[in-house]
Amino acid sequence: MSLPDWVGPVAEYIFEVGLVNTLKIAGMALVGSTVIGIVLGTLLTIRFLPSQALIRLYIEVWRGLPILVTIFMIFYLLPALSQQLRIDDPLIAAAIGLTLWGSAQVAEATRGAVVSIPREQHEAASALGFGWLGRHGFVILPQALRRLLPPMVGLLVNIIQNTTIAQVIGAPELLEASERQVERLTFEGQEHAIQIYGAVMVLFFLISFPLTRLAAYLEKRLI
Amino acid sequence: MSLLGLLALAWDWGFFTENWDELLLGARRTLEASAIGIAGAFFIGLVLGAARAHRVPVVSQLAGIYVEAIRNTPILVQIFMLYFALPQVGIRLDAFTVAWLAVMIWGGAFNTENFRAGFEAVPVRYREAGLALGFSRISTFLNVTLPIGGRIALPSSINTYISVVKNTSLMYVIAYPELTTTALQINALTLQTTETFAALAVGYLVIVWTMSIAIRFLESRLALPEDAR
Repeated sequence: MSLPDWVGPVAEYIFEVGLVNTLKIAGMALVGSTVIGIVLGTLLTIRFLPSQALIRLYIEVWRGLPILVTIFMIFYLLPALSQQLRIDDPLIAAAIGLTLWGSAQVAEATRGAVVSIPREQHEAASALGFGWLGRHGFVILPQALRRLLPPMVGLLVNIIQNTTIAQVIGAPELLEASERQVERLTFEGQEHAIQIYGAVMVLFFLISFPLTRLAAYLEKRLI
Repeated sequence: MSLLGLLALAWDWGFFTENWDELLLGARRTLEASAIGIAGAFFIGLVLGAARAHRVPVVSQLAGIYVEAIRNTPILVQIFMLYFALPQVGIRLDAFTVAWLAVMIWGGAFNTENFRAGFEAVPVRYREAGLALGFSRISTFLNVTLPIGGRIALPSSINTYISVVKNTSLMYVIAYPELTTTALQINALTLQTTETFAALAVGYLVIVWTMSIAIRFLESRLALPEDAR
């Protein structure tokens, strides 16, 4: 059994362009969300009203807005404010949009994880002479990160799926790449939209399903 | 600072009065598609969540496949499938139908899990007590599992409904004129990008924050008494 002629070039483009760019966006967004989210989430546990209010606002705004709107803001609103803020690469713009949303999620999860560490741990660390930074860096966060792992895997799944929203600003990720192929074939008089979008769904499933299983497993094992 | 100064100079309040009707219409369409999607997602979640929790043969397995298939694929690809791929086999859905149908299918899958978890959190002894009192399985579900499990599932299901509302913004790709599409069309005509996105952000945050406050309120009102857990 051999595949029809149109399959080869389509698969090649979807893998070499689409999948690569999807992983690029997801990688940047994951790193950005993790770093910013953990810092903000830890700072949120400090009882200082102005900083708490600002971080709360950050979390509620970026969690509240649809990611599509956030990505449009980065791509269209920033250059309208100032030419120096123009981001030409849609991959970067999408990664920033996803990072704003993702870091809000991580911040909230981190706050919960840090708060869940018993107070005695803080006290013991203080008694040993650790300052705020040392206490959090060496005692609290290492324990909190363990509890953070399951939601982080869940976040990775969401980030990977939400990279498709970058399609609206023309970032050639999986969905945009497959749409280009569908349109090229339609232009040549062939209709294969169901097969191509179906294959993209299967591809996302193959990436996401093991990760959601992993998240569920970690949740059982680590808590 | 100079940026803010420039912004204040260029800011045009007239934008909001001129485009108010159109933006409001867009917000109404967002809420319409969301309302149908949420109602359907509630019903799907209730029925399939109960089937999953009670391990009803066949239905439970099919529901499991549905849940995993939807949760592990991006909703945007699902929308593309419904709107751009189905016509290939002669199924043509208009943009409004795809708008509510896509969020309903998506929300239903997440809600099935919410309700399943809620029903499974009801202690088995309650169900046994109901059955021992002579209630049938159905009336045990309706009188015992549903009132308790439904309350446990409520906050997480409202979170799903919030996501449903936010996901209607994806209907931009099929040009259904909900809030996002409307705002961006206005932007294309007026080029008042700052005002457009201000209106868009405020619109969504008002809807989403109102729903979040409703969750907190319901959580405190519907919290189960300590001894019922």
